[in-house]
Amino acid sequence: MSVETFVTDKAGLQKFYEAIMASHETYAPVEKFGKFDFKQVRSLSECDPESPISKTQSIKPLFFPRSAKVMKYVATSAGTEVSEVDEDPLAVKRVILGAKHCDARALQVLDKVYNWDYIDTDYQKRRENTVIISTRCDKADTHCFCNSLDYDVENMVAMDVLVVHGTDGKVYIKARTDKGDEFLNSDVPFPASRVPNEVAAPELKKQYDAFAGSFRLKMDYKEVNARLSKIFDTPEFENVSGNCVSCNTCAFVCPTCHCFKISDEKVKDTGVRYKSYDSCNNGYFTLMAGGHNPRPVKYRRWRQRAMHKFVYYKERFGENLCVGCGKCTNACPVNISIFEVVNQVATSG
Amino acid sequence: MNYTKQIQDIAAKLFAEGKIDVFVGYRMNGFDDNQVPVLIKDPQDVSKLVFTDKSVFNLVNYLKTDHTRRKRVGLVVKGCDSRSLNLMLTESQVKRENLYVVGICCEGVVDEAAQKMQNCVECVVSDAVVYDELLGAGGTLSGSIKPYKVNADVAALAAKPLTERTAYFEEVFENCIRCNACRHSCPLCYCAKCCIDQETSTLYNGANTTSAAFHALMTWSLHLAGRCVDCRNCEKACPSHLPLHLLHKQNESVIYENFQEHLAGVIPEDRGAFYKYSLKDPDDFIM
Repeated sequence: MSVETFVTDKAGLQKFYEAIMASHETYAPVEKFGKFDFKQVRSLSECDPESPISKTQSIKPLFFPRSAKVMKYVATSAGTEVSEVDEDPLAVKRVILGAKHCDARALQVLDKVYNWDYIDTDYQKRRENTVIISTRCDKADTHCFCNSLDYDVENMVAMDVLVVHGTDGKVYIKARTDKGDEFLNSDVPFPASRVPNEVAAPELKKQYDAFAGSFRLKMDYKEVNARLSKIFDTPEFENVSGNCVSCNTCAFVCPTCHCFKISDEKVKDTGVRYKSYDSCNNGYFTLMAGGHNPRPVKYRRWRQRAMHKFVYYKERFGENLCVGCGKCTNACPVNISIFEVVNQVATSG
Repeated sequence: MNYTKQIQDIAAKLFAEGKIDVFVGYRMNGFDDNQVPVLIKDPQDVSKLVFTDKSVFNLVNYLKTDHTRRKRVGLVVKGCDSRSLNLMLTESQVKRENLYVVGICCEGVVDEAAQKMQNCVECVVSDAVVYDELLGAGGTLSGSIKPYKVNADVAALAAKPLTERTAYFEEVFENCIRCNACRHSCPLCYCAKCCIDQETSTLYNGANTTSAAFHALMTWSLHLAGRCVDCRNCEKACPSHLPLHLLHKQNESVIYENFQEHLAGVIPEDRGAFYKYSLKDPDDFIM
């Protein structure tokens, strides 16, 4: 990996983004109805790579789409013919601009489950073909707690290229992976000077310290992991889930939730089978064919959500299934915070 | 508009007299000056209750959850909330004798940017229409219905050419992520198995395609035609900030015009626009 950091200014960064859009299939946050979602863009005027974190959806749908075709079928008198779906539009070479650190980290967490007993080749292809460019936040949002969790926000390698707006007004661009290195040294010309990494390091550190000092929420995740694993039967889950309206939106906006359902869209004898998002807060999520539902009430579903994020996934894969992005709390109509829930439960008994 | 003290006193009294098992109200969310719903079971927690112009969420939604089912419930309702409660009562979803309703003569609530919400600006029935106790200086029910106007956004959109409107709504359905938060946060969506949850149906499959979103949202809005009370719980819940009120307000204005100025849930025991049948109903649209 390169030992040099690119130093430029805001105008240089714009040139960098424009050069990328001119030569690559690019995805960036596009505003619609006051919310930003990652869409394919062709010019900088369509998008805002510096979109506010509280209003931006995650990049997860670019790897695990909200709905993906699994197969097609035709029913004939001789039987059912099953065929492959068209080519995956997300598996081409592409670049993502303006990804948040937490979203990039979420993919590292998801990699574990996608590389587990069943290797999801579609996901792998999308991962391999994507260069992620992530800008470090300058200030934590109301519900952010990324630096309280089990990853090093400052030195993480979840993104391929890191962009930092230094406190000195300069912009620092640095490769974090070999893929990012190759990308920066290839066909994206932009005005910048190169300095050795050690020269840029103090300013990057200064920016990070300012960012790290702006967090409202702080937690000891080890304590939460340890306490939660012992109090499965605490009545506190009933209290914390009291005002949840089971709307499921937390799971749909979560960058790490990965449960899905299978459904068919069929017209007469032909159909397409889809794999789409689902949520464990859904009443029918665990409903079985015979009618039995092991999680018939809300607090048990909430317990599953909290435990999966901070106990089960941790035990199985060694990571928390939460990256502290605060998207669920922002989206929640009654502002239930996963941070508050796990802390309140962990300190309850 | 601040009824914090009165509501705390009422809740404390109800618990002391053993009249309720749970009180549904609002509390501060703990990080800024906005509020979230709270379900109080312990009488010691009544001091958490607040009520100001930040008390936005329609609490009638909680009457369909495990926490309140088959329990005696104390509940705070504003004008629009009380209309949805009226419908819940008419549709036999809750028993009136299990409820103690604290009605508010509402002066309008504000959004997160401290702007008065659009539905409050256009509100026709601001005083609670069903209550055991009424807070605030409101008039009698008949005097408090304000003149009905077509929603400003619906009117603005109706003035545009069809192609533009089509393009606008295509964008709305494209940006829907099919989380169904709108349905779950709606107090009047209480079906145990919703028709849009069918896994294998032709129209409403669980997939997040534009056509599935179109069918799901249109079906949802038609099931709420003549019932929606414009509390905007759905819009507040939508993670994509979709202008869902356009669907409901359009239906509402059509129903107001064609069904003897019907407004959902205003009159107790009113059977609603689509519950009644008369031989005199116009049928000239049937060929």
